Amino acid sequence: MIEVKHLRKKFGRKTVLQDISFTAEKGEITCLIGINGVGKTTILNAIMALTPIQGGQILIDGERVSKRTFEKVAFIPDAITMLPQMRIKDAIAFMADYYHCWNQKRADEMLNFFGLKVEERIANLSKGNTAKVNLLLGLALDVDYILMDEPFSGIDIFSREQITDVFTSHLIEDRGVVITTHEIQDIEHLIDKAVLLDDGEVKMAFNVEEIRETEGKSVVDMMRQVYQR
Amino acid sequence: MKINFNNRDPVYLQVVQHFKEQIAKGMLEPGQEIPSRRELAGNLRINPNTAQRAYKEMEEQKLIYTEGNSPSKITKDESVLAAVKKELVTDAVGTFVASMRSINLSLEEVMDLVKTHYDEAGEGKS
Amino acid sequence: MKSYLKLVNFEINRFLKLYVALAAFTVIVQTAVVIIHARSYLATAKDAVTKDMIPRETFLSDYGPMSIVRAMDGWFQLPIAICIAVLLIYCFMIWYRDWFGKNTFIYRLLMLPTNRIHIYLAKATAIFFMVLGLVSLELLLLPAESKLVELMVPIDYREDYSLNGIMEAFGDLNILFPKTITEFLIHYGIGLMMVFILFTSILIERCYRLKGILYGGIYFAFALVIFLLPNIVLIFAHTNYLYPVEMFFVELLLGILVTAMSIGLSHYLLNKKIRV
Repeated sequence: MIEVKHLRKKFGRKTVLQDISFTAEKGEITCLIGINGVGKTTILNAIMALTPIQGGQILIDGERVSKRTFEKVAFIPDAITMLPQMRIKDAIAFMADYYHCWNQKRADEMLNFFGLKVEERIANLSKGNTAKVNLLLGLALDVDYILMDEPFSGIDIFSREQITDVFTSHLIEDRGVVITTHEIQDIEHLIDKAVLLDDGEVKMAFNVEEIRETEGKSVVDMMRQVYQR
Repeated sequence: MKINFNNRDPVYLQVVQHFKEQIAKGMLEPGQEIPSRRELAGNLRINPNTAQRAYKEMEEQKLIYTEGNSPSKITKDESVLAAVKKELVTDAVGTFVASMRSINLSLEEVMDLVKTHYDEAGEGKS
Repeated sequence: MKSYLKLVNFEINRFLKLYVALAAFTVIVQTAVVIIHARSYLATAKDAVTKDMIPRETFLSDYGPMSIVRAMDGWFQLPIAICIAVLLIYCFMIWYRDWFGKNTFIYRLLMLPTNRIHIYLAKATAIFFMVLGLVSLELLLLPAESKLVELMVPIDYREDYSLNGIMEAFGDLNILFPKTITEFLIHYGIGLMMVFILFTSILIERCYRLKGILYGGIYFAFALVIFLLPNIVLIFAHTNYLYPVEMFFVELLLGILVTAMSIGLSHYLLNKKIRV
């Protein structure tokens, strides 16, 4: 379980996150929802210790973030973070070189599924293919948790469909996934849990099937309730 | 397989409903193997947990059964199959009647309409 | 440890193209300068001895013999100056390219399942190796160039130098070519320490951004003052309290202290304060 407890974050004098608490379970897809600039990416950065926090605590299976947790949690940022001059195979070799938990079989499977050519340079890839390589580099790690920042934004519809397929496959199954989005429509049926963020706080966190069952409301209905006041 | 989900009903119940319709229409036959929960999740682009829950619900309603490690199959139990059909028919008639009543049609008018349409549809088929 | 070595290798590879270009540039320019000098010397000598009938001895005493040292002019030293400048700039680039490149690679580096200080140490090691590499190249190049003079100019018209003798001719650049192990350790030890201080200052800037420029500058000055404290005291006190050997050990101690402080602070910054 990823536990974020009372996370507080300031940029200079501006408080971006006031008091953020939520958990993300293994085997579930947790979606952080909020408008742009609400601090979704900052939360993921904080989980990976990529930005200093002013308060609160983050635990991965009860453990504080350290070099060990990087073999447990993978972060897939919204843009690829490999050097542009690298070929896909170089990027893969780089990952395999540093991570014990790199799973080459899975990487090959995804290369195949996405139809990517390992000889291609990252700089020359289309937006959609760049997103796919980015996803591959994270998902081929045998980690328990995966954080994804806006995996569906800014890519063509076919790439989007392929990425959606990944979400319903064994590549995701049994892992804990945290994804951020500002557009929920495409993935409403994919997620288990929604965390609605606004004003640096968690306004509401709920299991989406439960809300449909008990209140007959969609995620968008809940968002309307929270954001249109 | 393709389902247009609505966002307000639990997805797992919509999946169950879809299976019932398929069974009633004879698209899924008694004893036929159904996809694994992972395949189903992939086909329908839904969360594997939801697919799992749908299958659990169908097992509880005895719509499907699993023997050992083999894939789940559609039930051969006639009484369950009949009940599914009855449930769907009852639901459909219920919806139909409700909408007829809401525009104040009498039973006779409705029956006439139904008869005409039923015959036309039959002719169109042959 | 393994990931540290991998990172060193990775950092060197990233710079390799430019580095090889630098090395090639140095070889080509220096060799060309030596050849041009040797040929113009030979032409002058030929003119003087055959056309103007000046005796060889008179020519040699007036004009001096040819040697590699004669060729080590400003043009000869230009590639060295350029190498120094490029490596100095690269000390900054080695960090900033990870933040400002097209794809922010610093994410990748910071998320590696390894101690983050390894990234810092690997970058410093890479710079250090690159400096040593270029210095070694020059040390190989000088005897080769000297040999070239020998091949081009007859023995009667030239004076041969030992490697030490050649290096004397470098003047201020001599600092790059220490003649004893002790000198080597002192010069390159101080150099490495400076790289650590600079890297820590850069990290301070990366953590605190605008304010960080000021903090980083302050840290840089502060670290230097600590290291140079005995010398500063010397200037103001006008008397030498310490024997040279004592001075050496005090400096050594202070050097280790400043280096440890830089590494320790960087360790803290990379783990707790870094921003992508």
